[in-house]
Amino acid sequence: MSITLDFNGKNIAKSNELELHFLPAKIDGDGEANVDHYFNNYTREATEFGRGILTNALRGYPLMGEKLKVPEGYSGLVLQETEKPISNSSDRQLRLTGVFKDFTYWNYDKVPSNGDPYRQALFLADVAQALSQPISEDDLEAEIVRNKENNKESP
Amino acid sequence: MSKKSTRASKPKAEPDAEGSAKMSKASALKKVLFMSQELLPKDADDGHLRLERFFHPGHGKEALFMTHPDGRIMELVEYTEPRRSWLVNSEVCSNGRIYMTAAVDSTLLALHHLRKHCAQRAMSLDNIAVEEASTSRLLNEILDPENLKCVVDVKSSGEQKFYKYNQERTLAWLALKTRQVAKILKEKQVHCGHSAQSQNFVRSEKLAAENVSNEMDYTRMACDIVGRYLDADLHDLLTSYLHIPSEIQAIVEEKAAAQKRKSKAGKDEGSDSKKIKLNDSDAASKLKSSGLVDSDGDPNASITSPTAAPLKERSLTAKEKALAKGAKGTKSIASFFKVK
Repeated sequence: MSITLDFNGKNIAKSNELELHFLPAKIDGDGEANVDHYFNNYTREATEFGRGILTNALRGYPLMGEKLKVPEGYSGLVLQETEKPISNSSDRQLRLTGVFKDFTYWNYDKVPSNGDPYRQALFLADVAQALSQPISEDDLEAEIVRNKENNKESP
Repeated sequence: MSKKSTRASKPKAEPDAEGSAKMSKASALKKVLFMSQELLPKDADDGHLRLERFFHPGHGKEALFMTHPDGRIMELVEYTEPRRSWLVNSEVCSNGRIYMTAAVDSTLLALHHLRKHCAQRAMSLDNIAVEEASTSRLLNEILDPENLKCVVDVKSSGEQKFYKYNQERTLAWLALKTRQVAKILKEKQVHCGHSAQSQNFVRSEKLAAENVSNEMDYTRMACDIVGRYLDADLHDLLTSYLHIPSEIQAIVEEKAAAQKRKSKAGKDEGSDSKKIKLNDSDAASKLKSSGLVDSDGDPNASITSPTAAPLKERSLTAKEKALAKGAKGTKSIASFFKVK
C-alpha cells in the first residue's frame, strides 16, 4: 500500500496561499465556518506582552498568539484526500489544497515562548538532520582504532 | 422531568452521531504538512512523491516514509498535542496534527534487515527478504550501497556484491552518529539530563546557558535519540559501547557526590569556609568600636567567639535512658556465653 501525493512543482507554484490558525482546542467537527466574521475580526495586537503578540478569544477563552513562519527549509502544504479508500490495502491519493508560508500560532492564555511544546518539537528537525549526515569512512576507521585502544587500556 | 430525560438521552444519542460524523470526516480530512524543500518536486517533474510504509526498527513495526522518485527518503513524523485543531481559511479542521518530513539515514533502516539476514553469511541485497515487498524495495531501490560500507563487509565477485554484517564497524559508526547528535544538542542548548528543567521554569535564556549540563547527559540523550532507530538489543550494545551509565545510576552517583561535598564542607570549616573566627579580645573591641554592637547596654558582657565545644558524649535519648534503667541490675549478655 502506498499513498501518492498527487501534485508536482507546477501545482505548488499555482496553488493559492492559505491562511492558517493553529488553535489550542479540540474541535469535534470539520467544515465551513465564518472564520473572518467571528474570529479574524477580533484579532488584536497586544503590544504590552511583546512585539507581534496577538490576542483573541475562542468561546470566551482568551488566546494569545503570534504569527510564525514555517520552519526554515520547509514549505507548508495542506493536503486533502478526495476519495475515501475502499480498503486499507488499496492505493490512496492526497491532493494539494494549498500552500502557506506562515500561520498564526495560538496559545490558551499564555504568551507564546520557547517553552511551548511546538517550538521544542522543532529541534527534532535539526537533530534528524545531524543524525542523517553521512559519516566518512576515514572517520569510521579512526573510531574503530580508537575504540580498540580504549579497550586495551581498560580491559 | 424534561430535564432528566434530556440528560439521560444525550449520552445515548452521542455515540451514533459521533460515528456518523467520523465517517464523513475521514474523507474530507485535511492534513497540514511541513515539507522539506529539498524533497519538493521541481517544476517539470512528472514523478510524484509517495508515502510508503517501511519497517521502522525503533517502533518495531511499519511506519510511513516519504519517498522521492529518485530514491531519496524522509521519515514522516507527526506533531500532536492533546488539544489542537486548525482553521484553514474559513474551514475548521479537527485534525490538529502537523506532519513533518525529517531527514533519515536509510542505512539505519536497513540495519535491522542486515542484522537479521546477513549476520552469519554474506548475501546480495536482492536476495534478502524477497518475500517482503517493502523490505526489498528499501534495500534495492532506496538504499545507497555505498553507505553500507559503514556497517557491513563487502565482498564482491564479478558484478555481484555480497554483504556481511559487521558489528564492530556498526557500533563505531553509531558512536560517531551519536557524537554528531550530541554536538547539535549542545549547539541548540537543548536541556538534557535527569535534572533538566522545563524551559517554562527557567527564568531567562541566559540562565539556561549558564546551567551547564554535563557531557554525559548530552551523550546519553543523543544515544537515546539514535536508539529510536535501532533494535532494542543494538541500542543496549551502543549504550555499553559508549560507556554510558544508566540514568538511575547517574542519579545515585550525583547524590553521593553532593553529599560528599556537603560533608567535606562541614569538615574543613576552618580552612575553606567563609566563617571568620573571632578572637576574643580584639574582635570584641573592634565590634564595639565599629558601633555594630551597642556596648552601653551591658558593658560587662563580652563577646565571645563561638568556640567549638569539646566533643561531648552524645546525650542519650529518652528511649535509650529508659532501656538503660530497665537493664540495671541485670547480667551482662556476655556473661551467658562465658565458659563455665
